[in-house]
Amino acid sequence: MMTSVPARILRKHTFIFALGLSVVLLLVNVLIQPTFGWASQLASFAPLALVAMASAPSIISGRGGIDISIGPVMTLCAIVFVGYLAPAGLGGIEALPLVMLLGGAIGTLNGLIIIWLRLAPIVVTLGMYFIVIGINLKLAPSPLRLDDTSWATSLAGMVGPLPGPLVSISIPLVIWGLLGLTAFRRNLYAVGGNDATAFTAGVNVSAVRVLAFAIGGVFAGAAGVVLVGLVRTADASSSTAYTLVAIAAVALGGISLAGGAGGIIGGLFGALAIFLVQSVLADTDLPQTWLPAVYGALLIASVTVGAIVSRDHTRRKQ
Amino acid sequence: MDRARASLTGTSTSGERPILIVSSIRKAFGPTRAVRDASFDVRRGEIHALMGENGSGKSTLVKILSGVHVPDSGTITVGGAERWSFTSPNDALGAGVATVFQEVLAAPNLTVLDNLWLGADGLFRTVQGRRERQRLAKSVLAELLENPPELDALVGDLDLSDRQACAIARAMLRNPLLLVLDEATSALDFDTRTRLFAMLRARVADGVGIILITHRMDEVREIADRVTVLRAGETVDTLDGDAWTIEELVRLMTGDAHLVDTAATPEATRRTPGAPVLEVRDLRVAADSSPVDFTLHAGEIVGLAGLEGQGQDAFLRALAGRGANGGSVVRVAGDVRTPLSSPSVSHRAGVAYVPRERRAESIFDWMSIVDNFATPTLTADRRGGLLSGRAASERFAEYRALLRIKLGKPSDGITTLSGGNQQKVIIARWLAASPHVLLLNDPTRGIDIGAKRDLYALLAELAAKGLAVVMLSTEVDEHLELMDRVLVFSDYRVSAEFTHRDVSREALVASFFGDEQVTA
Repeated sequence: MMTSVPARILRKHTFIFALGLSVVLLLVNVLIQPTFGWASQLASFAPLALVAMASAPSIISGRGGIDISIGPVMTLCAIVFVGYLAPAGLGGIEALPLVMLLGGAIGTLNGLIIIWLRLAPIVVTLGMYFIVIGINLKLAPSPLRLDDTSWATSLAGMVGPLPGPLVSISIPLVIWGLLGLTAFRRNLYAVGGNDATAFTAGVNVSAVRVLAFAIGGVFAGAAGVVLVGLVRTADASSSTAYTLVAIAAVALGGISLAGGAGGIIGGLFGALAIFLVQSVLADTDLPQTWLPAVYGALLIASVTVGAIVSRDHTRRKQ
Repeated sequence: MDRARASLTGTSTSGERPILIVSSIRKAFGPTRAVRDASFDVRRGEIHALMGENGSGKSTLVKILSGVHVPDSGTITVGGAERWSFTSPNDALGAGVATVFQEVLAAPNLTVLDNLWLGADGLFRTVQGRRERQRLAKSVLAELLENPPELDALVGDLDLSDRQACAIARAMLRNPLLLVLDEATSALDFDTRTRLFAMLRARVADGVGIILITHRMDEVREIADRVTVLRAGETVDTLDGDAWTIEELVRLMTGDAHLVDTAATPEATRRTPGAPVLEVRDLRVAADSSPVDFTLHAGEIVGLAGLEGQGQDAFLRALAGRGANGGSVVRVAGDVRTPLSSPSVSHRAGVAYVPRERRAESIFDWMSIVDNFATPTLTADRRGGLLSGRAASERFAEYRALLRIKLGKPSDGITTLSGGNQQKVIIARWLAASPHVLLLNDPTRGIDIGAKRDLYALLAELAAKGLAVVMLSTEVDEHLELMDRVLVFSDYRVSAEFTHRDVSREALVASFFGDEQVTA
């Protein structure tokens, strides 16, 4: 059975729905807010974008590879940056790879526990979520203030001639792009699509899964620095803010929760759509108390429409 | 048959070390000894067929050769390097053993090109440039398929035959010393199979060894240099080239151990079938299979036989109202005709189905024996609108005696029972619903001989009282001894039918393998 060309494009590039939705929402935003502040909006969007992209690799690796701990890990990296690396004289640009390594280490630990103990990722990463929240509260009982002269603040402003948020967002995109030049990304999609096939064909399925979680952690580390550059404080209470929204962004961005489909670009556009929905709702006359309910309903509706639009009409039973 | 290629392939070269030596391999899964003692060798440039009945250990042996399973003991020698086993598929591939598995394995979300090269890379390292990958993939696909798919098509969009061809091409691209094809031809269309055989002959001429697992005698006849026969996990014999007959192979595969005590079902109890109770018209087991007509009579025991996965399982489930691809299944009770459209309709129409996977589909493993028995028929235990535990126990006591269920207390957990006794409880559960038609899906699998005999005696007794029974069985002896009629399934259709009088072990097994000469 052949599918139509638009259907095939949608199926191959599953982020297109989220992209289209974002464009529409952007127009709505600009229309209802004559003073739409591009620079500040982009800066507020960047942390969510990075967290959503961080959630993507483990989900693509399949077997329900949701990483709940991404949000707290991001906050931990922000706290370590502001509270420990900067006072120790490591507050320069070298802090960025260091916290990305820290995030990667926690991701690796998640992956290893999942592989060795054969536990469900959602359970392991939920445990890690609480553990990291606990560490965050211990390390920073009160919010830590970032030095206003820190380089990180430029990530919310301008980096040379470029808008800082665009530079932040390009960190995961560049890493993902580089991985695309190696065999790893092919292996990742093979494992997510059919791990039995990948295993019998000789792919080291366990190593691929662990690395997927590690890469998510690395992105979460970068997200920590971006967040602290925006809000100028590292606050343990922000640990939980992004967790569920990131997973919603991933689903909206066409990344199959079953694995093997979508890419981090889907996480990016999914996050953008969600961010713009929030922005529109904040500017309407809806009573404040109704905002979360309306937001939730919109989310379900858009994920549903996205799933229908990019539905795979040709998939047969194996 | 032209055997001229034997000289071409160099199989007669004596004194050369075999490419593969399998020596005294054993593998057990819990109490099941899947492979008990397998020893054989494959020469350079040889196509070596492995044959055996269902459950003879072929698939387990393949999984050991491909590194999916690690054997309990024994050695594998590939290309002169002796080892205990392969630790992973990657290990086996590194040693030069590539396998095409029985289930068509493909990553549906990847392109044809990526599927063909799947696993050839390291974790990060790419073994070949994209251009070279494309060139090699194109050439192997062109060899195998008349109309090869585009390299950037998604494998999930291909039909089954092309997906199977991709799995074969993937193995070929690894340039193996030894290629293992486990039922790899079953999903291929005729043209592709012909091309595959030509390809295999070309590889063999280059010195590759091939293990071919197939249930088709004609394929073995056409292409195999030698045949090794497995029976009950043991390699019983290796036969050379033309030096075998179908009768000999069948005898080797079946052995002559009789499972059923013939005294248990004496001829005297053979019944004359009564009125029709179930009518099947134009039933399609798979979407594109040929239709099946079948009428079941009261007091009749009908066996469903055949190799694994030939449609008998789907047919039985269709009889239970669980999904058919067109056609009708109608329960007949005098003038009342009820089309069976769902399991609940079947249940109400007096058709009981005992599924195959006891643990997954039948047992509530956290519940007691008596609750497992009583659950579908709880309305019988109502006393003044409330359930009475004592009523259930009383009902159960009757069946416990009838089926000779050995247990401690009825309130003990069902998992305290042996597999055979669990199965009896499940059968009692459905007998308690007073069915007129009993459908059994391989009910004696994995239960001991004593429990089997109890069950055979019970079925004979119930049939004598007018119950109609359809029983899928993978054991040839059950078909020989117990059934009034046997339907043999092959390729999702009824390929042969035997009555109790004219069935013989040799004819039945030969019919599984689709050999017309013997069934005729």
